[in-house]
Amino acid sequence: MDLKKVRKEIDTIDFEILKLLNRRMELALTSKKFKKKVFDPEREKEVIENVLRYAHGVISPEFTEKVFTTILEESKELQNRDYKLIGFQGEHGAYGELASQGFMKEGISIPLNTFADVFKGVEKGYYDFGIVPVENSLGGSILDVNSLLAKHNVYIVKEIPVKIQHSLLVLPDTNYRDIRVVYSHPQALAQCKNFLERHNFEARPFYDTAGAAKMLFEKKPDAAAVIANKLCAKLYHLEVIMENIEDHSENITRFFAISNKPQKEGNKTSIIFSVKHKAGTLFKILEIFAENKINLTRIESMPVSGKPNTYVFFIDFEGNSEDPKVKNTLEKVKEKTTFFKWLGSYDKGEVICE
Amino acid sequence: MNNLKLTRKKGKTTIKVRDVEIGKDFVIMAGPCSVESEEQTITIAEAVKKAGANILRGGAFKPRTSPYSFQGLGLKGLKILAKAREITGLPIITEVIDPRDVQWVSDFVDILQIGARNMQNFSLLKEVGKSGKPVMLKRGMHSTIVEWLSCAEYILNEGNPNVILCERGIRSFETYTRNTLDISAVSVVKTLSHLPVIVDPSHATGRPELIPPMSLAAVSVKADGIMVEVHHKPEEALSDGAQALLPEEFETLVKQVRNLVNCMKEANPYFIKERK
Repeated sequence: MDLKKVRKEIDTIDFEILKLLNRRMELALTSKKFKKKVFDPEREKEVIENVLRYAHGVISPEFTEKVFTTILEESKELQNRDYKLIGFQGEHGAYGELASQGFMKEGISIPLNTFADVFKGVEKGYYDFGIVPVENSLGGSILDVNSLLAKHNVYIVKEIPVKIQHSLLVLPDTNYRDIRVVYSHPQALAQCKNFLERHNFEARPFYDTAGAAKMLFEKKPDAAAVIANKLCAKLYHLEVIMENIEDHSENITRFFAISNKPQKEGNKTSIIFSVKHKAGTLFKILEIFAENKINLTRIESMPVSGKPNTYVFFIDFEGNSEDPKVKNTLEKVKEKTTFFKWLGSYDKGEVICE
Repeated sequence: MNNLKLTRKKGKTTIKVRDVEIGKDFVIMAGPCSVESEEQTITIAEAVKKAGANILRGGAFKPRTSPYSFQGLGLKGLKILAKAREITGLPIITEVIDPRDVQWVSDFVDILQIGARNMQNFSLLKEVGKSGKPVMLKRGMHSTIVEWLSCAEYILNEGNPNVILCERGIRSFETYTRNTLDISAVSVVKTLSHLPVIVDPSHATGRPELIPPMSLAAVSVKADGIMVEVHHKPEEALSDGAQALLPEEFETLVKQVRNLVNCMKEANPYFIKERK
């Protein structure tokens, strides 16, 4: 032990305190959706009593009360502001959070475990918006998300393309010569295959890119680095060794912002439908779009789970559903489908880079 | 000389580095001896770009005579060079001194430099050979021309055809200049090999006032380029400040060099064939 080491540990703890405080405030903001009023004197009393029970060591009851009163004050202050909550799947620093920040800079991004949590939370109104990936330019469509779009009562309100840029991150003061293993999501590892091979690194799959960054910060494994974006370096106190290590620079993931309220503006529209299992039924639908000179930007089929040989079709096209031409087209499409769902009209945003 | 199978081939090798074609265009490489800070490197990079340089040089790993002298910023220096390239668009060249770093340096820069002191570091030569990156091989200060070409052979033998030679002066009994620029060596390797040859008048002379005349001499013997050290505050430089040109001096030098290159276009000083 020396002063430098002690101080380094103190810095790490401060950083963890801040991360926990941030998580606490996020939960407080989420709790607002369940309460009638921000100020709840009963609950405040309970919080202070709880923490006083755990005050120990050099932490006096007076100090504990002072700290938590300050935290509660700030929490109320934040709840009184009209923040929009945006749910995304993954840990803080995930590419979904980049999309969320690009969608609404002043929004608060709330990390959630699964895509289903995002859809359910948005449908019930716990979160004002949700951010979900629908397609990656190298990896293709994200099936989970598309099937959730068909299932839940939510609407697409914006398309957000995010440029995927990977960096190699390490714990501060790691010598680059000592790196042997690299953790990341299997897709990120695959996208940096040449880089990993050139350096003879062992690729270790992990459930999430940002999750790998979090693990590196928390567990501090030896000789390790992670592949994630630069935002993760900031969030998990890591150092960027090298930027843009991906093999192909053109790598874009399209995210959708979803809400339980549709919005009518925008120059793109998405629908889902099924047709009778008969010759030419899908063609008849596409014919209507062709006759009305509407440009399709995506068409995709997805098997319906539990019903073999049954498919739903996703179509994204140019145009707003309030436009008479589009309105007319959709009326005709509805007549010929066995299932039809309008997912919303929305704008396509600018490509988000780190 | 029989062991120079790959170095002594006929023809003329050109090496494309981004927009620059070494061996075809007369190339001017310039920049600080060492990358000292982001601000210093970018200031100098912008100045040499404005003056008309084609490639930015800068050392991140420094092979210093004394272990107590500034050793370079390492990986941090490489990041700074990459940033300077992003700003100016100039390709970058930097020295690599350790075989373990070759892959890292290759990932950041456009040309690897093997310094005079490492010319015969054979494990390093094999490693840069494997990297496939363009390599500029400086002549060792006590090396004969054939020894120098043998080292180029090491790199070529690894399957890397992108080798550039650099004459930077040799040790002689003369002490007035830091080294003695062996300008005739440029002519010799130009007739013996197909590889481009660059002249480094900064290290060859160690004296700023000798850099312009030696640069013009390099043009006269049809060298393929020069490499010059430039610093905006030579008195504050962490290494080799005494031999650095100021940006405005460098600008004048570039003008004179480019003029002479034009005049020399039609000239062929190599019209006399070797007599048996």
